[in-house]
Amino acid sequence: MKELVTFQVGSYANFIGSHFWNFQDELLGLHEDPQAHSVFKNQNLDMDVLYRTGETQQGMPTYTPRLISVDFQGSLGSMSSRGSLYNHNPSPSSGVATWTGNVSTQASEPRKKNLFLQRLYNEGQDINGSEILDTDVVKSLEDGVQFWTDFSKVHYHPQSLFELNGLWMDPQEFNNYGIGRHTVSEGLQGDEINERLRFFMEECDHVQGIQFMVDDSGGFSGVAASLLENIEDEYTNVPVLLFSVRSPNSYNNLTSRKVSITSKLHDAVSFSALSSLCKLIVPVGLPSLSESRVSQYLSLENEKLYQSSAVYASALHSINLPFRMKKMGPTGESSNESGAVDLYECIQMLAGQGRQNTVAILDAAMPPPSMTGRRFQQPLLGNLHPLTPETAHDVDDLQAIESMIVHGALGAGEQEVSVSQVREAVETEYENTSSTRPRFSHLSVSRCPLPIPLPFPSIFNNLVSQRGDLLLNSPIVSGSPSRKGPLEVHSIPMAARLRSTTAVLPFLENRLGYIRKFGIERGSIGASVLTSWGFGREEIEDIGENLSKMVSALNPQQDYSSDDSD
Amino acid sequence: MSLRVLNPNAEVLNKSAALHMNINAAKGLQDVLKSNLGPKGTIKMTAVAQDDTSGDGTTSTVIFIGELMKQSERYIDEGMHPRVLVDGFEIAKRATLQFLEKFKTPVVMGEEPDKEILKMVARTTLRTKLYEALADQLTDIVVNAVLCVRKPEEAIDLFMVEIMHMRHKFDVDTRLVEGLVLDHGSRHPDMKRHAENCYILTCNVSLEYEKSEINAGFFYSNAEQREAMVAAERRSVDERVKKIIELKNKVCDGTDNNFVVINQKGIDPPSLDLLARAGIVALRRAKRRNMERLVLACGGEAVNSVDDLTPDCLGWAGLVYEHVLGEEKYTFVEKVKHPHSCTILIKGPNDHTIAQIKDAVRDGLRSVKNTIEDEAVVLGAGAFEVAARQHLINEVKKTVKGRAQLGIQAFADALLVVPKTLAENSGLDTQDVIISLTGEHDKGNIVGLNQHTGEPIDPQMEGIFDNYAVKRQIINSGPVIASQLLLVDEVIRAGRNMRKPT
Repeated sequence: MKELVTFQVGSYANFIGSHFWNFQDELLGLHEDPQAHSVFKNQNLDMDVLYRTGETQQGMPTYTPRLISVDFQGSLGSMSSRGSLYNHNPSPSSGVATWTGNVSTQASEPRKKNLFLQRLYNEGQDINGSEILDTDVVKSLEDGVQFWTDFSKVHYHPQSLFELNGLWMDPQEFNNYGIGRHTVSEGLQGDEINERLRFFMEECDHVQGIQFMVDDSGGFSGVAASLLENIEDEYTNVPVLLFSVRSPNSYNNLTSRKVSITSKLHDAVSFSALSSLCKLIVPVGLPSLSESRVSQYLSLENEKLYQSSAVYASALHSINLPFRMKKMGPTGESSNESGAVDLYECIQMLAGQGRQNTVAILDAAMPPPSMTGRRFQQPLLGNLHPLTPETAHDVDDLQAIESMIVHGALGAGEQEVSVSQVREAVETEYENTSSTRPRFSHLSVSRCPLPIPLPFPSIFNNLVSQRGDLLLNSPIVSGSPSRKGPLEVHSIPMAARLRSTTAVLPFLENRLGYIRKFGIERGSIGASVLTSWGFGREEIEDIGENLSKMVSALNPQQDYSSDDSD
Repeated sequence: MSLRVLNPNAEVLNKSAALHMNINAAKGLQDVLKSNLGPKGTIKMTAVAQDDTSGDGTTSTVIFIGELMKQSERYIDEGMHPRVLVDGFEIAKRATLQFLEKFKTPVVMGEEPDKEILKMVARTTLRTKLYEALADQLTDIVVNAVLCVRKPEEAIDLFMVEIMHMRHKFDVDTRLVEGLVLDHGSRHPDMKRHAENCYILTCNVSLEYEKSEINAGFFYSNAEQREAMVAAERRSVDERVKKIIELKNKVCDGTDNNFVVINQKGIDPPSLDLLARAGIVALRRAKRRNMERLVLACGGEAVNSVDDLTPDCLGWAGLVYEHVLGEEKYTFVEKVKHPHSCTILIKGPNDHTIAQIKDAVRDGLRSVKNTIEDEAVVLGAGAFEVAARQHLINEVKKTVKGRAQLGIQAFADALLVVPKTLAENSGLDTQDVIISLTGEHDKGNIVGLNQHTGEPIDPQMEGIFDNYAVKRQIINSGPVIASQLLLVDEVIRAGRNMRKPT
């Protein structure tokens, strides 16, 4: 099992994806860099899992993400949808070769590249030829990221970036499942995206699966559903791991009762549709990330997509690592990593046994505290906090299943911790934990920490050291910046976990409540909204049925035929 | 006024303001699009690609509606009720449609359709989108493509004409491939890049090792048990490959014939290896639609299982070869048995050129298909519009009493927007052109406009024909939309101030 194909559909998915690929690009760079730390040089990660090798028509070799990104037209900022590598004759002014009559041209000026991109493409210099400093770049990104391409340092393949035609950036109107479905089913755009998927799939010798990120807060969930339907049809046995992501901003536009009801119906419909089109769905995105427990060593602003998306991208990067660890024989253990699983095995483990619950919670510790010091009773389990919204704390679930990854872990005094030490430490924690131990747990460990590339936002608080250790003992040096970024922090250890547990019940019950209250109940206000999205009475009831099945799989005792939940 | 109750801020435009808003909107759209009309039009290059799925006749419909609104405005400003105009439109529309029936030129479509007339229609369409030499070259391609996929007694399925593009060389390299061009190649270094006399196996069979729930492997504590499961799954894939190889040996042994497998599902490296060693060329992940096209072109049938493979399943192609452009590979399947499917291969130096040619080709294909299905064409270059206008003024108007006459007049005058715009786009004086054209028609000569000289010409002689179905559609929908715009009572729009000065 080898290749992964990645989908990023919708604005926030692309923000997260942009950081995700920056990490990969950074890892590739560090691998080649003679001055890099040894943990980056000996990483036994197979980057071919995510990347494809190609060549331009001029014979230049290329190495680009195996990615399809779908977003609004105009959302690529200063980047061309054909990427930057394959444009040998990019002269649009070469005239119209097919017409000898009059030609009137209405062209808009290309967007100006920001300092970061200027430096990237002009090899360190701005348009006036003077050198751009790291500090200038960091500052310019902090203040002025508008598009996800503004902070992307990755070269994309011409087949990768798809702009939905006829949709200028107007998320206010592109805000529900129905309109998204409609957009792709009309015309040839859906076919075109499916063709691009075919392009990447045809190249795969042995595809292990598709990782799919969708910003499901609006119409893009409908777009994703129709793409997923095609995947189910054409690539029946290729498993899909789906992350439905939400930006903090998507939670605070509920201005009126009508808007709020519409949005709740959308949440129910979207979740029901997406979850039935993938093998495992992981809802990601907290209403207030900055105030959540996961941000205990972070300092960020919810409104800035550039910042919040970096946190989610870090966790998704961690979750992705075991999929590209090289597999050892049955007994062989590498000193660099252990616990390789492929995407299918990961899904089978979490969703394929016992309760067959296909919704998982994503947890992260960013960074986890030192693993071997005495300071923390539970450095890992106690510091993993959910990035999935609407979850319950402190549930005792005898049948929980979890898959965890710890990478780049540090011990006391920034000492690196070996793979086997991490395994032991985690085992000890499980034994000493006060709460119920999961029925099944899997652990992957890698020595390779999360590299912090230059376009990463300054979101660490001043407790985080250069290598991601926590400066809990040392007094805060006065005058040090209150927020630290890529110039102060070069890498951090990470821990992340996917959990199949009853803690996800509130999330499911809320959605079930929405569809019952606003869609199914006699005389409910939302019925006409659902009709306008193309749902008949029967389909609405199917959605209710589907959601209640998911709930009762986790909680068979409860009787969900009544609907007093909200 | 329920809307007002819901949103007290919603602004209500009264009747006359609403009407004028509609008229202005329609006129505005007309202004933007009218310079596109005809072979002397201006093409619009915008930074935003437009999504044009409506096909040909779009420009004509929009400018006709705009002109109907413009003509109406004159009368409405003089105090006439829009209702009266709309009644006149309805009468004029019906009369014009009847006139079209008489005016159209029937085309006999027997076993062998009249290729010349098809070419003329295709050329007329293509020349409004591409420069003459290129349009003329594509004319043959387009006509031959439609005739290739046409089957007696069946509707023409234009999907059976694949339109492929290569970013390469010059636009004049565009050609018709009687057969298929696939946008991928084989994935094994030892497979032939050029093969003649090929059996073609079109299939939808997984030839790759797949994880199933049974062998997910993760939960086997016992490594041997796991290995055994994996080996068993591998064996069953190999069995499928071997069945294909058996068929190949059966039909090819002792001959120089070749064997090509085109599979909709995946083929993994071990399977490719087995096939390559047996001298088979194999392509994986073929486009779903190409499976159908392959069978139409090469014969045989698409198989979903290798269990009952027989030589009857196989198709035939005289030539299969691969063409490589950088990382892009193309496989040509040519010299096929009975080309009921074909490919128009568009080559162009950049995306924009390719898109222009593609659009024109699509419209050209549709115009040929329309002609065959309509069994009729309509004289172009504005001849129909002038004739219809004269008919309305001279014949129809008299039969109607009262003010509805003015609606007919407005409709008739609006028809002239087509020749007028053609003249305008050629830099000619529209007044002169209209006078000379109507003069000829009054003498009984059916003429259109020569866009080079401004002189009247016989469209029949020049071979300028439009689609009957398209004309009919324009006459039908134009007045309907215009009427709806004219009869609007109020425009209510919340959230935006509409009367802000523009």
